[in-house]
Amino acid sequence: MSMLIKQMPARVESLHDLLTFITAEAKKKGFSEEARQQIELVAEEALVNVFVHGYAQNQGQVEVRCSASDDSALTIEIRDAGVSFNPLSLADPDLQPDLACRKVGGMGVFLIRKMTDQVAYRREGDSNILTMTFLNR
Amino acid sequence: MEIVVTNESDIFVFAIRGRLDAVTVPELEERINQWFEQSGTKLVFDLDGLDYISSAGLRVFLTTAKKMKARDGKLCMARLRDNVKDVFTISGFIALIPAFETLGAAQDALQ
Repeated sequence: MSMLIKQMPARVESLHDLLTFITAEAKKKGFSEEARQQIELVAEEALVNVFVHGYAQNQGQVEVRCSASDDSALTIEIRDAGVSFNPLSLADPDLQPDLACRKVGGMGVFLIRKMTDQVAYRREGDSNILTMTFLNR
Repeated sequence: MEIVVTNESDIFVFAIRGRLDAVTVPELEERINQWFEQSGTKLVFDLDGLDYISSAGLRVFLTTAKKMKARDGKLCMARLRDNVKDVFTISGFIALIPAFETLGAAQDALQ
């Protein structure tokens, strides 16, 4: 199993570099363009959560680890040392089809749940670690 | 991302190209807020050139749809690519903002 690690400031200016890093790994693993787009979307949602909620005044780092096992699954870990927060503890948004009632927000974590094959959160020491696995079908 | 705004009579078309993500979304928000300073009530998002949308983009679409409803206006979308349409379908947003296969159909719906 190989692992690649990239660390950057936890702010939105880092987003495109981190997504490029992740999608390059997905491409190396032979994921289709369609699958890569889903991986990219999920990665953005997870990273933006860290940018927005992780640290006060954008003062921290975020680390992305991509590991690829022989069974051609891709696992992405997103680590930050911000406030303890489990995004998976959030309730699913109400997918209310009426415009007036539909609440703004809450879609990011929902998309993560829907578009990953496995997702898990753990707190390890001072770190939040979100692990997302994608199977190459 | 690139945004081109055109209008035919009172129907305004925002052609949004490229990526609509957490980095680029403020630019679209600014253009839409400018547009809302006028009294227009008919708006189409032409998404033929849109490669990617995340929840940051969805949020702007939803707030725009709500503002349009508040002024008795109509918002619709045209020419969603498959991957963009998937995001609208999974999020349920496809039921909130009418989507059309062609720009002409979207414009007709606003007549």
